[in-house]
Amino acid sequence: MSMAYQSRIRWAGYALLAPFVLVFLIFLVLPLVQAGVLALKQTYGPQASVWVGLENFRHLANDPLFWRAVSNTLIYTASTILIQLPLALGLAMVLNHPKIRGRGIYRLIFFSPQLMGMVFVSMLAGLIFEKRSGLVNQALHAAFGTSLDFPWLQVYIMPTLIISTLWMYVGFNMVYFLAALQNVERSLVEAASVDGAGPWARFRHVTIPAIRPVGSFVVLLSVIGSLQLFELPYVMLDGSAGPANRGLTIVLYLYQNGFEIGDLGYASAIGWVLGLMLVVAAALQMRLARERG
Amino acid sequence: MFDLNWIRSFSLGTIVIALMAIASSIGVLVWQPDREHGLEMWIFSLEHEALYRPVLEQRERAGGEHVNLRVLATAALERRMMSGFFGGLRTADLIEVERQMAGLAFTGPLEAVGFTDLTDHLVETGLMEQINKPSFGPWTSRGRVFGLPHDVHPVMLGYRADIVEAAGIDVSQIETWDDFARVLAPLMTDEDGDGKPDRYLLGLWETDSDRLETLLLQAGGRFFDERGAAVMDQERNAWALSQIVSWCVGPTRIAADVPDFSAGGNRLKEEGYAVAYIMPDWMCNVWRMQMPNLAGKVKVMPLPAFEPGGRRTSVWGGTMLGIPKTTVSFERSWQVATDLYFSEELAKKLYSNNDIITPVKSHWSDPVFDAPDPYFSGQAKGRMYIDLAPDVPARTSSPYNKLARDRFRDAAVAVAEWARREGKCHPAELIDKCREELARAQGAVMRQMERNVFLEVDQ
Repeated sequence: MSMAYQSRIRWAGYALLAPFVLVFLIFLVLPLVQAGVLALKQTYGPQASVWVGLENFRHLANDPLFWRAVSNTLIYTASTILIQLPLALGLAMVLNHPKIRGRGIYRLIFFSPQLMGMVFVSMLAGLIFEKRSGLVNQALHAAFGTSLDFPWLQVYIMPTLIISTLWMYVGFNMVYFLAALQNVERSLVEAASVDGAGPWARFRHVTIPAIRPVGSFVVLLSVIGSLQLFELPYVMLDGSAGPANRGLTIVLYLYQNGFEIGDLGYASAIGWVLGLMLVVAAALQMRLARERG
Repeated sequence: MFDLNWIRSFSLGTIVIALMAIASSIGVLVWQPDREHGLEMWIFSLEHEALYRPVLEQRERAGGEHVNLRVLATAALERRMMSGFFGGLRTADLIEVERQMAGLAFTGPLEAVGFTDLTDHLVETGLMEQINKPSFGPWTSRGRVFGLPHDVHPVMLGYRADIVEAAGIDVSQIETWDDFARVLAPLMTDEDGDGKPDRYLLGLWETDSDRLETLLLQAGGRFFDERGAAVMDQERNAWALSQIVSWCVGPTRIAADVPDFSAGGNRLKEEGYAVAYIMPDWMCNVWRMQMPNLAGKVKVMPLPAFEPGGRRTSVWGGTMLGIPKTTVSFERSWQVATDLYFSEELAKKLYSNNDIITPVKSHWSDPVFDAPDPYFSGQAKGRMYIDLAPDVPARTSSPYNKLARDRFRDAAVAVAEWARREGKCHPAELIDKCREELARAQGAVMRQMERNVFLEVDQ
């Protein structure tokens, strides 16, 4: 192969990479650097900005509303891992059972809320959980005689958010688990049965290890998604965080500061802290998965 | 000649993709979107579009300038406007915005406000005197006016006249909120025997920040003083809050949670779950459109005062027309703005189509405001709203108003929950707790305001 040809091949590689690198630099690296600079400023557009150093971060550390947002977001994230994913796995196991008839229909039904999208689900949830006229209070009143004025959207906002998310995401995560369960080696399960393992032992020692890679992936996706919770409370609570900030999440607080108050520097600082939390959560999850794998 | 053999080292697909990329890049670089001639105007309301478009078309037929009227969703308008203001980019030549949106434009230094300062123009042309003075409040920052007011939005009490009159109750006896509770008390009957009234007197709840702010303003309370400093933690506010919360708590509560703009809330209104509602002029149109079944069953009356001789109205909402600094021509935009907002014809239509009272005082004598309104049981409600218009409370344009309103709502929620826990429901028992929660609310607002190095407010 001639030198000229080799050189052309090398340049061809760079030429093919160039569009991606250019887009990556302009739309990812540059905004990231700008966001970093913005977090160190008090701004009102490019014409009015003042360098405040780490003041935004200092203020954040002592901001009770930010900690309220962190606490609400972590509660929501914990509910995702402790309630949503076990439910999704349980549902997948039930629908994976060969004796269940019409499994395809059930799978479609459980997955269908996902087809509507978060905004529509949030709007519906807002109607369903209304006082007096809401479906939930009407049903509970008819079944148990509870008060029609039960304040889901005024007092019990976090439980309402968690329940609404279950409706949306249990079926979605079920699909992942179902795919993983269908790949569990039948021969391993049968061998365990022959060795005298009961249903629990088979689940613990055969099924769980087999679906662990998919499980880790689903946990990671769910944690990242939960930490970024925004549309559900924003739409359901009509653009606010609800009374006493009971529905305030980190991204909602970022939005309020950046776009309702115009404090872009502070919003950027919140964004960096959230980014850090996401990186830590992802690293922890990957490490745990590696150790167990 | 050029050696093009190197092209052979690429596959045909790569060459096609590369050519397409080059062609589309050149296309994007050379493409200039068709700029419409004339002026660009952004509004957020379809009702306003229905009013403005015929006037603008007629204006154009008479040789006036073409105005490209665009209706944008509120959030989209806010984003585009603020992006333009932040970046110093061209937006529209005229922008109609509502109160919260405008406040956001006043966050930075005065010289960075994206709207043109209209103060001198308004004074020189004498237009300042023609407009109801309180209507300028939300569009005035640090003494300068940045928009033409679209409305006044005085508030009355809308009530189910059919229910009240069937019970033989005469609302003319009502002067204060205490009278309101006493005179209408017979309507709170418990016919199904569940130990709770089947009907309440007032559609209001401690979580409803809009109605809370409206009532606070009526009571003479406020979130900010004239300089824009937060003054939430004051005696008058605590007193007003204690009165309002006392209506929502305890076994003798008179208020019930009946939300606006929702199917559930409208059903409760139609069922008469609450007798009376806080009703700004624009809300009359919302009722008319969303609850046609209530035609002839509803009436309005001035708000009961908090004290004898007190204010009988308040204010809720507001819209302005501003001219961004980046307009192609201030004079031409100003001409369009005044043609629209000072037109007598449009003022009449604004009322007859949308139930909204114009802030231009010289138009108030028009007979259209004296016409009986069949939906409101034949009342000449336009005249009733106009009679109250000069008395609407003053408001400030603070960009922190929404924050203060939300924190005031949080204070109301905290007091109401405490009252329910402690079994205390008389205003006198709530006042100390109100003061404590308002101090907390003010602290939260001040913490946010102190961060803004561009707003020089001596707190």
